[in-house]
Amino acid sequence: MTKLEAVIQPARFEAVKDALIEIGVEGMTVIEVRGHGRQKGHTEFYRGREYIVDLLPKVKIEAVIPDAMVDKAVTTITEAARTGKIGDGKIFLSRIDDAVRIRNDERGENAL
Amino acid sequence: MSSEPQPRGLSSSGSPIPNQPADGGLRNFYRQEFDRVHRDFVATGSGLAALSDRTRLVDKLALTLWEQHLPSRPRCGYALVALGGYGRCELFPHSDVDLLFLTEDEEKRDQIKEGVSSICQQMWDCGLRVSPSTHTIADCARLNQENIEFTLSLLDCRFLAGDRLLFDGLHEKKLPELIAREADTLLQALSSITEARHHRFGKTIFHLEPNLKDGPGGLRDCHVSRWIGMILALVAGNKPEVVGSSKNAAASAVLEAIEFLSSIRCHLHYRHNRDDNNVTWSAQEELAARGIGTGSGPLSPAEWMRLYFGHAKAVYHDSGQLLKQVMEGRSSLYRSFQHWRSRVSNSEFSVVDGRVYLQQAASARDAEAVLRLFVFVAKHGVALSAEAERRISEVHLRLVETMPQDQSLWPHLRDILTQPQAANALRAMHSLNLLTHALPEFEAINLLVLRDLYHRYTVDEHTLLAIDVLHQLKIDGDEVLRPFAELLGEVEHPELLYLALLLHDTGKGLEGSDHVYSSLQFTQTAVKRLQFPEEDARMVAFLVSSHLEISSTMRRRDIYDPGTVAELADKMGTPERLKMLTLLTLADIKAVNPDALTPWKAENLWRLYAATANHFDRSADIAGLDAGASRGAVERIIGLHPLRRSEILHFLDGLPQRYVLSHPAEQVVQHFRLSRQLATEVVQLQLQPHSGQCELTVVTTDRAGLFRTLAGILFGWGMDITKATAFSNSSGVVVDSFYFKDRFRTLEVNPSERECFLRSVRDILLGEAPLEKLLESRLRGDRQPVKLAVGTRIRHDNECSARNSLLEIVTQDRPGLLHTISSTLTKEGCSIEVALIDTEGPLAHDVFYLTRNGNKLTSEQMRDLEWALAGELSDSLPTW
Repeated sequence: MTKLEAVIQPARFEAVKDALIEIGVEGMTVIEVRGHGRQKGHTEFYRGREYIVDLLPKVKIEAVIPDAMVDKAVTTITEAARTGKIGDGKIFLSRIDDAVRIRNDERGENAL
Repeated sequence: MSSEPQPRGLSSSGSPIPNQPADGGLRNFYRQEFDRVHRDFVATGSGLAALSDRTRLVDKLALTLWEQHLPSRPRCGYALVALGGYGRCELFPHSDVDLLFLTEDEEKRDQIKEGVSSICQQMWDCGLRVSPSTHTIADCARLNQENIEFTLSLLDCRFLAGDRLLFDGLHEKKLPELIAREADTLLQALSSITEARHHRFGKTIFHLEPNLKDGPGGLRDCHVSRWIGMILALVAGNKPEVVGSSKNAAASAVLEAIEFLSSIRCHLHYRHNRDDNNVTWSAQEELAARGIGTGSGPLSPAEWMRLYFGHAKAVYHDSGQLLKQVMEGRSSLYRSFQHWRSRVSNSEFSVVDGRVYLQQAASARDAEAVLRLFVFVAKHGVALSAEAERRISEVHLRLVETMPQDQSLWPHLRDILTQPQAANALRAMHSLNLLTHALPEFEAINLLVLRDLYHRYTVDEHTLLAIDVLHQLKIDGDEVLRPFAELLGEVEHPELLYLALLLHDTGKGLEGSDHVYSSLQFTQTAVKRLQFPEEDARMVAFLVSSHLEISSTMRRRDIYDPGTVAELADKMGTPERLKMLTLLTLADIKAVNPDALTPWKAENLWRLYAATANHFDRSADIAGLDAGASRGAVERIIGLHPLRRSEILHFLDGLPQRYVLSHPAEQVVQHFRLSRQLATEVVQLQLQPHSGQCELTVVTTDRAGLFRTLAGILFGWGMDITKATAFSNSSGVVVDSFYFKDRFRTLEVNPSERECFLRSVRDILLGEAPLEKLLESRLRGDRQPVKLAVGTRIRHDNECSARNSLLEIVTQDRPGLLHTISSTLTKEGCSIEVALIDTEGPLAHDVFYLTRNGNKLTSEQMRDLEWALAGELSDSLPTW
């Protein structure tokens, strides 16, 4: 099993979510986050007041998926989240040893 | 109640199991009897009977184990006592069993330690969730500030076994003494605990998936009423009453509610096989289909939930009234506050102990007087007295028949909506079944449960909460929401915003329809009946029909993309609409559930608002009246004067979109009419009141220094300019509008001065009188202290407009500021093409679109201009 963490533009979240559900990834955790990578912040003004926008809003999607689905999921996310501009986000993958479904104690991929 | 719990302090309701079985047998015995109680409940549906039965069963088990491990002797010095729900003989199927092992001293406590451990262990083995505690009688007679709940649980203590005299010592002497001594502390704690618990549930009973125990209107509120009754009785030296609170007509409703809630909670425990008290959607379907608690067979889930809300309301109302009465009676601070509030009494309504009464009983029959009562409630935050509620209920039919629904309703409804406690007044109206008669559109969402993963409340409660969210902005200290509070203060017609909130979800009541479309239909019906002016009707309809627009943009679009911002600005049309829709969006999100408006969302909403507001300021000179929203506005203007179509189009030619979108069609037509008279009189003036201020409109031919001269005249007359706009068309006709406060009430106090003022404006503009003379005295004497310092910022943008250079100035507002700035612009050879002048408290925010000799300013010219302005405004250098 692989844990997939995708940090994406909020505006692309619905498209990414729908695309993941379409390929069979139904369980996911979504978190509202702020951050920056190469897309640094900038300064804005409203009525003379300065707002430093150094951490930009992002959405983080976490999902644990069977290894066989990883490539498809990554392709799906990149296609749905890509706008071609700086700030489209990143995907991180890491190994997961086990999973437990609390309701009935199912283990491993059966618990996903 | 069909079966009353045993009074406090009576003996156990059972006896030991006759042929004491071995451990495994005891477990089997408990399991079999537990199942029997369950079967009886399924057969009878009586929750109260099931509670008594389970209590008896646990009594038998506890007494059996007590006899096994701590056999009783008359003066053994220890006793077994039931507390909490177990003490009240209200043991729900999976509730904890609260046991007190009471000892006369610490030596006895050590002595029975092993026995206590064995009893508890075996009860756990039987499947009971035991919460044991061992205390000496001296411990029990002291109030532990860290654990006031323990003292409250002692109120329900019931003797089970052991040293009866020891128990009587607690029950008959120590406990009454403790309660009498600490009654104020206990009542205060009870009030705080209840307040915090209600706060966790948003202080409303109208949850889509309510919690039957802890939620407002739940069983815990019944216990609160009961405990208050017992504390008051013990303080008075009386025997405490068994069932708590009311002795009035509402008491039977409360008893019915207790029976209903108990049956439902029993069902939920059996259904979930644990102490889970949430009436989930699937549970609602099951309870409704099986007709549990209905007494009349199956219902639809929506009908069943209406039944639930009726019972919860009775409990919530009863415990709330009782708690309030008690706190009023005992807290001197509260009393002084209520005394202060009683000063708001008037000839129609009197306020006594925080409740409002009708001075004349006959007023209850007069719909207008009743509406004024709700305005009073909204203004002063007082609750209706039970007597006022009763009087209104008694004549409800007559009130319904005479309740105004047309334009005579609006002044009352407007006054309710704009007062700080609007939501509470509307709740009171709704509770008395009057809101839906005044505003029939609201009926569609009355107690409407819509199954949605995010919404926590019924649709009507969500609506009222949304109104409250906006009013709370003014008193909340939340830093994230502070900019929105300031924005609310800038809205010119908040009453339209509140009305839009009241109607924005009414369409949800029509099954299977697009709710935004249906809400718009309801809105149009309502504003037509209320006979709104066309501009106001259009604004409310816009807010309702667009109420998901900003949320949708935040969710689906990149809010930092200038294209997104420009598109949103185009949909909004004017900064005022943007402000109102931003606030409506904020309230709509926050009223979904307590966690719905995360700081993340609030900040994104603010950033989108600020970017769009900035876009408006940076595109105010864009012409093109045949595009987007402006095309519709132009057609409305022409529609008022169709025979002058070509002349109107000629007048509008060259005026920016901002002009037609920010002025009502009727006002544009007035400007057009004034422009037609320029041939005979080159200065056309119009002076009229505007939202508590004055509005001076000047239509004339363009000339150098015109804006500076007008600003100077108003300064010379001591007027405080709060807003101003300046626009011109392709033919060189200028439409300048100034909104100002008449600081010395010159025009108000001396009506003849109005003509004098207008003559002065005309003469100076025509060069027939000198401006300098008017300014002389003002420049000498007009100094005002600075309350809050605002630093000066001057910025320019030579990219945002194809024809003009944009200059933005933010600085400390002061008398004559606009004259100072515009004089500097004139001195530097600049021509003002468009001006947007605004003030917000001590802050002045001015945006100018400038040209010099018909062209944009060069970088050098702009830099010189900024230095000159910085010198005039003196406290800072320009920023680049």
